[in-house]
Amino acid sequence: MSAFSNLLIPAVLFFALGFIARLIKSDLRFPPDLAKILSIYLLVSIGLHGGVELAKADLGEALAAVIWALLLGLLLPIIGFGLLLATRRVGLLDAAAIAAHYGSVSAGTFLTAIAFLGSQGIEYERYPLIMLAIMESPAIVVGLLLASWSRGRVAKAAPDRGAPRADRGTGHMGDILREAFTNGSVVLLIGSMLIGAIANPKAMESLHPFTTDIFMGMLCLFLLEMGLEAGRRFGDFRRVGLALGAFGLVMPLIGGVIGVLVGHLMLGFGVGGTTLVGVLGASASYIAVPPAMRLAVPEANPSFYLTLSLGVTFPFNVVFGIPIYHQLALLVAGGA
Amino acid sequence: MHRLVPEKLVTVITTDVLEHRLIAAVRRRGASGYTLLRARGAGSDGLQSGNLEIDTNLLLKVILPPERMSGLLDDLDALIGQGYHLTVFVADVAVLDHEKFERPMET
Repeated sequence: MSAFSNLLIPAVLFFALGFIARLIKSDLRFPPDLAKILSIYLLVSIGLHGGVELAKADLGEALAAVIWALLLGLLLPIIGFGLLLATRRVGLLDAAAIAAHYGSVSAGTFLTAIAFLGSQGIEYERYPLIMLAIMESPAIVVGLLLASWSRGRVAKAAPDRGAPRADRGTGHMGDILREAFTNGSVVLLIGSMLIGAIANPKAMESLHPFTTDIFMGMLCLFLLEMGLEAGRRFGDFRRVGLALGAFGLVMPLIGGVIGVLVGHLMLGFGVGGTTLVGVLGASASYIAVPPAMRLAVPEANPSFYLTLSLGVTFPFNVVFGIPIYHQLALLVAGGA
Repeated sequence: MHRLVPEKLVTVITTDVLEHRLIAAVRRRGASGYTLLRARGAGSDGLQSGNLEIDTNLLLKVILPPERMSGLLDDLDALIGQGYHLTVFVADVAVLDHEKFERPMET
């Protein structure tokens, strides 16, 4: 079994196809809303799946997973913020906005990891799925706090540029927090999980073709589109520069290691579940966080965080990261 | 000859996360209506491909009487002051059935 056998999973190959199509300037293009439809399908389907399993779950273990998801979401952005400042390539507010992305998660990366585990016949716990739903939002809160701290520092450093405006960004903190926790993807994922958990199991069986049979095909289409999007962003790589690009590769490794340690040592998962928590720690959001940062930290440049999250970290995780976190999980949890 | 009456056309291009705030300003400043389109392009915020939820722009067009325009521009200016990237331009237009543009939207 090669360490990089995930390269031959159809979904990952489709990702590569999209990426290459963009690099060779193919006119391949999805209709505007298809990516959104596919991501709705994937969230509903994974939510239903998880809900059915969670109905059988242990409450205490589920609660521990929730608490660790919150802690990871709070801790990772702070590490990222420190690293970004150490590069000395971005301002405080850009660093705050980028860091928030790395505390949150990418459902696309998570699903690719599930495809990877499936292709290797590895069983995994269902709790990481709750963690996926939980971890979309807390990083946003940390991002907001880092941004408002940064604003204070910026105003102190350059008082001649006028007093900081009271309404700058933070004026709508309540709205932004509400939007972070009622983000469409979060509502859809948690809602589908609840439906899966409480629905009549007999009736759920009729959904089998929808949630299971066509799932991998839909994931292939989704990753094809994400490959196109990543290829498009990859061109912006020059604009973010080498130091930031390196952050987009190093940060997921740090998050992955922390995730793997939490997955096995704190939550006691086996290799499959530990790999998934590693993936959660490593991945960067491109769903809930970018719009929240747009609203809350308008001073930060979106092309930095979108390029890093979509153009650097996402492809890295899909191609190299997942097998790396799996190897780490084997190392830590292999004997268990 | 048609009875054309001069009005102002305000066009705004910006990220679609600002939609609610822009519409609130348009209503508050007494415009009679607005038109919103999804847009894509590139500029100071980088590429806005319009393919994903997170990188879509909007293009907002509002026609309103000249005396109400300045209030709306104040609101847009305040957003720019907060750091948002807005492209705003104003044009003179002439409209048919101008009474329609005098009636503010019901809030």
